[in-house]
Amino acid sequence: MAEELFRRSFKIHGRDFDKAGETSTEIKAILKSLSIDAGVIRHAVVVAFEAEMNVVMYADEGTMTFVLTDEAIGIEVADVGPGIPDLELAMQEGYSTASDEMRELGFGFGMGLPNIKRNSDTLSITTEVGKGTTVSSHILLDSHE
Amino acid sequence: MSELRHGFRLEHERCDGCLACMRSCPTFAIRVWNGKARLLTDLCIDCGWCLKACSRGAIAATTRSLSEIGRFAFKVAVPSPVLFGQFPAAVTPDDIVDGLLAAGFDAVWDYGIDIALVARAVASYVETWRGPRPLVSSTCPVIVRLAQVSYPSMLEQLVHIHPPREIAGREIKRRYSAELGLPPEEIAAIYITPCQARIISIIQPAEGGKSHLDGAIGIGEIYNTVLAAARSKSRTVGVSGARHLVRTADMLRWSTSEALSRHLFRHRYLTVTGLTNVIQVFDDVEKGKLRNIEFLECYACWGGCLSGNLTVDNLYVSLTKLHKLISDLSETDSATEAEIARRYPAEDYALERPIRPRPLAGIPGDLRERVRKVNEAEAILATLPGLDCGLCGAPNCRCLARDVSTGDASRADCVFLSTERLEELKRFYQRSR
Repeated sequence: MAEELFRRSFKIHGRDFDKAGETSTEIKAILKSLSIDAGVIRHAVVVAFEAEMNVVMYADEGTMTFVLTDEAIGIEVADVGPGIPDLELAMQEGYSTASDEMRELGFGFGMGLPNIKRNSDTLSITTEVGKGTTVSSHILLDSHE
Repeated sequence: MSELRHGFRLEHERCDGCLACMRSCPTFAIRVWNGKARLLTDLCIDCGWCLKACSRGAIAATTRSLSEIGRFAFKVAVPSPVLFGQFPAAVTPDDIVDGLLAAGFDAVWDYGIDIALVARAVASYVETWRGPRPLVSSTCPVIVRLAQVSYPSMLEQLVHIHPPREIAGREIKRRYSAELGLPPEEIAAIYITPCQARIISIIQPAEGGKSHLDGAIGIGEIYNTVLAAARSKSRTVGVSGARHLVRTADMLRWSTSEALSRHLFRHRYLTVTGLTNVIQVFDDVEKGKLRNIEFLECYACWGGCLSGNLTVDNLYVSLTKLHKLISDLSETDSATEAEIARRYPAEDYALERPIRPRPLAGIPGDLRERVRKVNEAEAILATLPGLDCGLCGAPNCRCLARDVSTGDASRADCVFLSTERLEELKRFYQRSR
């Protein structure tokens, strides 16, 4: 059983594009100060950023919980929001329900969930339409070079 | 891995502990302990802001002086195009070249050719690249070192092409040793540099090879000599003995922050100047933003090399002068094109080895120990005032907290937590005033 070493939680505000990305920047700073391998950090930062952006773009609010064990980095993002009606479709590259406005801001190219998946070692997503979504990703500390 | 070397030195006897360098350092690599500035060498990426910040002259670039290069049999100047925007408008590029010869150089290199060759090599690199994007320009040594130290996962995105100054150095040795029958080590290729950071790429090339240059002289160091020579010439209405070396707009544009714009205009291309801006953009790249951008041209100095810390003229004035010169020139000329046609296929431009990361030593110990230290630093930080006054000798409370957690500093260094510290500072700074 992996032992938990470090845990932090961050609030994410929906539709706050101004602050979007700050939580993943903070997580990166923590990982750097812990001298975690650069490749592992990059995977974790992409997961954190994409999950954070999903909350900012679609949900009302969310919480990102960052947990470090002696084996892996865990990133869990739970939001209160619309949920995902068709998860299978949302996992396809290029599928996006982003508005034109979001695309103009440079977001919503339908790469969010596929990117999270590609950068995670394990991923689980639970979602309920009208209630919200929880994305839970783990990145192993020693599987990336 | 050998210790990170730098293009400047701290002269302790001149340092009066004023904190200016510490406050200016964007990577928090300076501490002031016992009234003297100390460099944390592995955090320093040679941006050179401390050189400008120090009013005591206690931080000096390790450039060469004109007298020092006298020992070489044949001395060739490789002038950064920045040089040509530094003088009063009446001093022409030909005058500047004559001035360099008057200063003691045996030749001034036709550097526009190397610039054109490298521009072409970079454009072809960008066009054929199939790896992750955006690619990042590697001519600014600070940007290369920033990636090595802080963004190791982006290193493969650095354009692995030698900067023009290295291509020039290599060709200078080859050509003059053949022409003059001298061994290459007696021929000096000296870069006339706008910043001290170029020195790190000479003394310790990022990819681990050996530089073809034999040192650099700061623009400020030769400025007066060149200016005096140009002025005395205009009095005697002398005819330029120099070859006409500034012939193309392409060459002069290399000194601006849009060096590659003509070559890459078809590509999605961003220019980013100023270290804090580059860091922000690199953070975005790491998060996976900017994937649609093909190329980032990045410079640590605001406005690019024209505001390098060894330049003389103000960035905006010199930019205006260069624009004037550029508008009078054609993009390229037949002499340049003929040289490119001859040299381009015959030379290699790619770095011989990949640029490797230089990770920070960080907190020693296993993961559990490191977590303990980070938690400890956070707990210490909560007890500090958060005003980042710097009187403890660290640039901000967070750095002090970290230094305390690693045993390099003490909580009692904070003037809010220890009146003794305040008394000590008073004694020290009264004495040094």
